[in-house]
Amino acid sequence: MNHDAKKIAASFYGRVNAPLAERFRLNFCTDLEKSVLMSNFERRGWHHVGPDDEWNFYWASTQTCRNLFSVESGYRMNDNQIINHFPNHYELSRKDLLVKNIKRYRKELEREGSPLAEKAEVVLPGGQVVTRHVHLDFVPVTFVLPADYNMFVEEYRKSPQSTWIMKPCGKSQGTGIFLINKLSKLKKWSREAKAPFHPQLTKESYVISRYIDNPLLIGGKKFDLRLYVLVTSFRPLKAYLFQLGFCRFCTVKYDTSVTELDNMYVHLTNVSVQKHGGDYNSIHGGKMSVQNLKLYLEGTRGKAVTDKLFAAMQWLIVHSLKAVSSVMANDRHCFECYGYDIIIDNQLKPWLVEVNASPSLTSTTVNDRILKYKLIDNILTVVLPPEGVPDVRWNKQPNLESLGNFDLLIDEELLEKDEPSTSTGRSFKNNKNTTR
Amino acid sequence: MGKYDHLTERGDEEKLYLLCFVWDEPKWEFAHLPLQVKNLEQLRKEYPEWASGEPLLGAIPECNGASGLGPLGTERTALGARVTALRYAPVAQEFLKRGSPHCLRAGLWAQVLGVEVTAQQTAYFNQLKRNVLEVDLMIDKLIFKDVQLTASNDDQYFVFEDLLYQVMLCFSRDGEVLQQLKGSIGNALTVTIKGKQTSPESVTVFPPSGIIPFHGFSMYATPFCYLYDEPVQLYYTFRAFYIRYWHRLHYISTHPQGIVSLCLLYERLLEANEPLLWIHFRNININPIRVVFKWLMRAFSGHLPPDQLLFLWDAILGYDSLYILPLLAVAILSFRKENIFQVNTIQNVDAVLADLSTISIVPLLQLALMKP
Repeated sequence: MNHDAKKIAASFYGRVNAPLAERFRLNFCTDLEKSVLMSNFERRGWHHVGPDDEWNFYWASTQTCRNLFSVESGYRMNDNQIINHFPNHYELSRKDLLVKNIKRYRKELEREGSPLAEKAEVVLPGGQVVTRHVHLDFVPVTFVLPADYNMFVEEYRKSPQSTWIMKPCGKSQGTGIFLINKLSKLKKWSREAKAPFHPQLTKESYVISRYIDNPLLIGGKKFDLRLYVLVTSFRPLKAYLFQLGFCRFCTVKYDTSVTELDNMYVHLTNVSVQKHGGDYNSIHGGKMSVQNLKLYLEGTRGKAVTDKLFAAMQWLIVHSLKAVSSVMANDRHCFECYGYDIIIDNQLKPWLVEVNASPSLTSTTVNDRILKYKLIDNILTVVLPPEGVPDVRWNKQPNLESLGNFDLLIDEELLEKDEPSTSTGRSFKNNKNTTR
Repeated sequence: MGKYDHLTERGDEEKLYLLCFVWDEPKWEFAHLPLQVKNLEQLRKEYPEWASGEPLLGAIPECNGASGLGPLGTERTALGARVTALRYAPVAQEFLKRGSPHCLRAGLWAQVLGVEVTAQQTAYFNQLKRNVLEVDLMIDKLIFKDVQLTASNDDQYFVFEDLLYQVMLCFSRDGEVLQQLKGSIGNALTVTIKGKQTSPESVTVFPPSGIIPFHGFSMYATPFCYLYDEPVQLYYTFRAFYIRYWHRLHYISTHPQGIVSLCLLYERLLEANEPLLWIHFRNININPIRVVFKWLMRAFSGHLPPDQLLFLWDAILGYDSLYILPLLAVAILSFRKENIFQVNTIQNVDAVLADLSTISIVPLLQLALMKP
């Protein structure tokens, strides 16, 4: 659809939606005054209050959430208050902790003798033979620096031609990321980092991962996927996958040559980076819907491999959540919407790049705004009981209609009860045993 | 046939309405052209599978998130695989009438269009590429501009930009297009080769394809990007589709499938089946064709999302007819008529019709074609 038509349609959107029925007058509080949030709250007739007032629903920043749950604050939430973060979400969203949790999860499964922990030998492009997990190999080989430096060097020596990507643990939006293809470059960086005039850098920990240098390209350009996953409970695990995700494309053609190693526009798909490129188009923002990706792959490569890829992505998400579920503070007042960043390689294998606990709610295009509006709308219908009032005593089992554009990914409570009526069709359960 | 003969079939109330403004009848109406077009009853006979109300692919929404297909999808996929293996175009064409599963489309369309990529075809395509690189033509600028303004700004197609440049540039150098369309596109533009004397031998067709691109021309090719990821197969399938159908949408002729006849068909269908809407347009001084012309001329490319569009193009290929385009246009207007009745400027009518992303064309067309 062309640009002008979109503009006209967007201005019409508010009028086309039917008004909601009268709801219980809820108080909401928000640290973020984004239009996609405010319009959803206002549409429901909710009352805007401050953090010190009696709020029922709080869309908080991660910092506020940490403060609220900290021992010092002494804040006690009542049964009719819910908040949009788990207190220790960083177990999933910090790059080093995510890797640590996944490694621990895999070891635990191995000790239990679970078939999920099965390993096999894999031949790397350089000819070396390494051992990899068969079913849980969805994160590229990663080490935390400076702690795991020696282990990293050992791995590096196995395939000296490989490229590695350095990412600061606590940053976002592509800040501070760079690629290296020689150990000497890393040594140089670490020497510079320890210099007295960069005191922060010595404290900052980094992760270094095997760079996925064979990403799937469309139109010659690299892209990654952004998928939204809503979690309402970790124990039992209840997670929902938003059907509307998107691919973020680089504006420049993918090029693995050494000269382009430092060109962020070739390698980093973050919109915050690509926005400043000369070829950035603000009409589509370099974003293509996941539905169109599926259509493209089905049409050009066939249904079987496409279905396998999408099942593998669901598998990846579920296991990443299971990996942290034991360490997460499973407070009943909490829910969280994560932004999963996934890269697909040219063998159609998905790789988890990172998980964001505060995915951006800024809209770069008209379509983006519509998508994020629907996301917030559906989050609210899923996390609130049918009566529309936050209540921690509710069993957190939304009916099919409340899911909206969310698909049930996994509900461990339902699995335990083994209720086929609520977990058929759109549930993950059907795919669980057939994915690899 | 008299100019106002079609009025005598109407009820009295309508006659009164129409007589009121017959005095300053606008000159742009198609009705005065002596072209025969079908009516809805005749179209039902053209599209029996759709008029019968039997289950068609795309009519029932399949599960969105899960990979599972509904029973119809599975059945069509199994049948389609057998049809593809037959490699017999008439059977493939028949299969397309009820819609094709997306994973089988690429093969089926190629079969129906008689496209087979041999070494010879590949060599010819590479020759066209060399022609593009060796000689710049003025229309290359038009092609770049076209792709930049349309596909590159479209969130459904922007990723395929490079592929489109290749395909459209090679298309312009392809003399076979001109050969195959001789007679249908009038006399192509000829120019004298630079540096030579003006004589019959030194005159060449410009561009070699005989077709000068225009804004939106590349949109005829964009949907193929969802079927073929390599340029040669894409090129030949697009070219075959163009030679069979698309050129009729932008060349004026008396051909029953030409754009003029399609516009007339649209007008007749709207007037006969949605008279209140027709009158509403007259009252607010909007030419009904104005509202849908861009859909017809582009065969809905860029207006419908790709998955819906491909069902539509299945039907064009399956029934070997473009009549479905004006039919769909009327069906969409009918579907949104309550909103159209509430507005009275062309901008607002355009706004009501701007977003077709929620339209499901198969049930809409079935509804239009089924007997009331």
